[in-house]
Amino acid sequence: MRVTYSWLKSYVDLNIQPEKLGALLTMAGLAVESIEKQGSDYLFEIEVTANRPDWLSLIGVAREISAITGKKLKIPSTAESRKPKAESQIKIKVEDKKLCPRYTARIIRNVKIGESPAWIKTRLQTIGLRPVNNVVDITNFCLFETGEPMHAFDLDRMEGKEIIIRRAKRGEKIFLIDGAERILDDSTLIIADSTKPIAIAGIMGGANTEVTISTKNILLEAAFFDPVSIRRTSRKFGIMTESSYRFERKVDLKNIENFSNRALDLILKLAGGEIGELFDVGDKGFSKKTVTLSYSKCNEVLGVEIAPSSIKKILNSLGLKALAPAKDKVKFEIPSFRIDLDSEIDLIEEVSRIHGYDKIPNTIPGIVEESSRISSDMVAAKKIRRALTSLGADEIITYSLLSKKLLGLANFLDKNIIEIENPLSGEQEIMRPSLIVGMLNSVLWNMNRKAKDFKLFELGNIYLKERNGKFVEKKYLCVALTGQAFSGWVDRPRPISFFDLKGMAEALFQELGMDSVSFEYAKDGRFSPTECASMAIKKEAFGMLGQVDKRILNNFDIKDKVYALEMNIGPILKYITLEKTFKELPKYPSIYRDISIIIGKEISNSDATSLIKISAGPMLKDVKLVDRYTGEQIPDGKVGLTYRLEYQSLLKTLEDRDVLDCQARILRSLEEKLSAKLR
Amino acid sequence: MKSKIKEIEEQALGEISSSAAERDSLEAMRVKYLGRKGIITELFKKMGDLSASERPEAGRLINILKETVTRSLEEKISSITAYEVEEKDKIDITLPGIRGRIGKPHPISETIDEICNIFVSLGFKVVEGPEIETEYYNFETLNIPLEHPSRDAFDTFYLKNDSNQKFLLRSHTSPVQARFMEKNTPPFSIVVPGKVFRPDATDASHSFMFHQVEGLAVGDNIRFSDLKGVLANFTKQMFGKNTKTRFKPSFFPFTEPSAEVDISCIICRGQGPVASGQKCSVCGGKGWLEILGAGMVNPKVFEKVGYNPEKVTGFAFGMGVERIAMLKHGINNIRLFFENDVRFLRQF
Repeated sequence: MRVTYSWLKSYVDLNIQPEKLGALLTMAGLAVESIEKQGSDYLFEIEVTANRPDWLSLIGVAREISAITGKKLKIPSTAESRKPKAESQIKIKVEDKKLCPRYTARIIRNVKIGESPAWIKTRLQTIGLRPVNNVVDITNFCLFETGEPMHAFDLDRMEGKEIIIRRAKRGEKIFLIDGAERILDDSTLIIADSTKPIAIAGIMGGANTEVTISTKNILLEAAFFDPVSIRRTSRKFGIMTESSYRFERKVDLKNIENFSNRALDLILKLAGGEIGELFDVGDKGFSKKTVTLSYSKCNEVLGVEIAPSSIKKILNSLGLKALAPAKDKVKFEIPSFRIDLDSEIDLIEEVSRIHGYDKIPNTIPGIVEESSRISSDMVAAKKIRRALTSLGADEIITYSLLSKKLLGLANFLDKNIIEIENPLSGEQEIMRPSLIVGMLNSVLWNMNRKAKDFKLFELGNIYLKERNGKFVEKKYLCVALTGQAFSGWVDRPRPISFFDLKGMAEALFQELGMDSVSFEYAKDGRFSPTECASMAIKKEAFGMLGQVDKRILNNFDIKDKVYALEMNIGPILKYITLEKTFKELPKYPSIYRDISIIIGKEISNSDATSLIKISAGPMLKDVKLVDRYTGEQIPDGKVGLTYRLEYQSLLKTLEDRDVLDCQARILRSLEEKLSAKLR
Repeated sequence: MKSKIKEIEEQALGEISSSAAERDSLEAMRVKYLGRKGIITELFKKMGDLSASERPEAGRLINILKETVTRSLEEKISSITAYEVEEKDKIDITLPGIRGRIGKPHPISETIDEICNIFVSLGFKVVEGPEIETEYYNFETLNIPLEHPSRDAFDTFYLKNDSNQKFLLRSHTSPVQARFMEKNTPPFSIVVPGKVFRPDATDASHSFMFHQVEGLAVGDNIRFSDLKGVLANFTKQMFGKNTKTRFKPSFFPFTEPSAEVDISCIICRGQGPVASGQKCSVCGGKGWLEILGAGMVNPKVFEKVGYNPEKVTGFAFGMGVERIAMLKHGINNIRLFFENDVRFLRQF
């Protein structure tokens, strides 16, 4: 909403600087976005919230200033009686009373169309409107002054002697004053003469009845149109006008006649003519609205002590009338222009606004006891984030919406994919069914900027359509590694491998207290068939990891190997043990013994390890692979493995001879069951 | 004689210990005391002047003195040898340290954590809600009529769906308010972090996906002054204790009275236009930054979830996480958060 300083002065005394006025309005809820000096005047750009259509008028803004400053509000009088002098000879028919609850019209004959006087032109120009002629300018002037959009038709260009407010017929056409033709249908309310549409109601008039320099007789319309209908039509045709903007937010039904009279007075004064009788069809807005306010409740909700007399004074200054004197619960009559005031809390808001939010104290409420302040899956997410960052990975956040093209690069089937009905661009067509797509996109982004060795992870939702059509979202984790593993200038760098990723996963699960995650060979189109594993806990699979398939990397134009892990957080939550119980430290130290064997390559590490565990007996505490060797001295098809065994006793400090039997037993098992040889 | 010996001992040990740890000066010290004409050697020579009864005792004491001084000199010399290493054996300590890298949480996660931790310290519980929502929770329970200008602020992504029910991506975190209230009874206070989606054209300060933190406190006597106190406390903890907070009346369908909350500009410290006439680039010379929307829960929202608005009151607030992170770190483009350039991520 645009208002000017000098224009406001016509309705309320202003003896404060424009900057000061701007600050006062902002702190009362009329957010002043800018104040601009225009000649000798100042233009205020005010952001008006959707609940306050009354502020879409200069009188409305002036009323607010009057309430804040205590200066008197001066509304131009329209009270004088108007005797019709001209014959009307016209009929008004409102066919759709729901979409047009009130319609007024008045004929003015023998007007003299010409230029407006400077005071009107300057005001319109300052707020950015182009002056047209005196009659059109007056309707615009009154729209800004009163908030009621009005329209003047050229009476002589209307056919037949009637005005019909009706829904358009399918296929009816109208040229609007913006110069473009619109094709109408029965969802559109129009103003029509006997034969044709002459305006889209409340939105824009037709060029066919536009008031021009040759116009002699006019019909002045002021009405109330249904806000929802106006909103739909305005959106449908993509036309937003000062008029539609106000009808959409509801105009002051009761005062329509007064507004029309105000325009009439100005027309008679500036363009002359004789008036006809007033046609006024529909709801005159006589019903009165009252709201009861409890002064004590008001103070309770706000946390202040405002005297009842002050509360009453504030509400009076906004045009509310206290109906019956009462101590606490007072009934107020709501003025017709305050469509937003329906309930007690609405009045409390008015009191707080004018009293000033800055005068309400700051207090801290009593703290509500809660057993836990954070849910378990959020604690898990925090743990995961901390573990992965400590392992050197950087967290990323990628868009939950993707293009179909990007998804196609990662070879995803599209039957479970959720599509967006109204994307703004191709980048937002679907919801991600996996975190890997966004991950690879980020990997590519960084590689294109010459980053080579990095680890990334993302924690976020994926979204799927289930077979029954239900939409689901699941919390997932994705990790990706690429480049070289190197710790500095001492060791030689080596390419990152499957086991770097697996090690990260193992470290993560250990940190989460999940001690029985198993890794199994798996096949998955997204990963290389030779380096891919699934992860499961208690037989429940929850994720995959492996080398990302070369074809997918090619599609993304990623040149280096990328290892990735993707897992569902939901199923593992019940296995995460974050509460740790202290275990007594061992009284006696462990001893360590190595076993080096040569064994067939086809024997998996897990087979060898479990055999060692089974055959060792109770003193074996842990077994670790510390070396794996192929090459010289190892025959083809074989591999040299060294396991480090940790023994411990609860009864004494172990010595070499205590574990000799054990070592021999293990070796024998390995030899017998896995054809291993001592190295 | 005895006192003379004591005197020499103190003098010799003092000189040795304060002497520079260099071979030359220690050799000079040896000559001075133990050389052929040294002070201690001279003492032995003077023994002849003593009576026979005094002689054995004096001899013993001088010998002790000689030993003490000799040992002290040797210790000093060996300490020199320990310091003297050959240049070629030294490592180059300017070589870089060998270290692993600690990764970084995303600045948005960090900011969400920081915000939530402050509210947890004020007695709030952190909860989450779904990103795929219904019109009922995203709009209706929040008193946002379907065809009303107040919905203009909430442009929304809808999901393609065969059935009649409309699903959408939540355009704010507020739907969690109703979801939580339906399942819990007051009093409670919660904060809700999460992603939200709006079909906004992307530019330096707009993104179709961003993050919000929502707050809600409901009880039998929660007041507007409590809202002011809690948020003033939050802004001080988040932006520094000199941060000023300003509440301006505003409108949201789900709160009443409603407020937009400003903090004094963290760059120009609320000075607004500076003396040189140049406007602060962060607040545009206004001196204030808008960071929160807030208000008392509208009784209509309580009615929707089956609470008695005569019995309970509450406040709610919401803030954009990206905006706060941008202000805190001086980040000038919201897109940086989602490009995930490691050169960006590793700065925080």
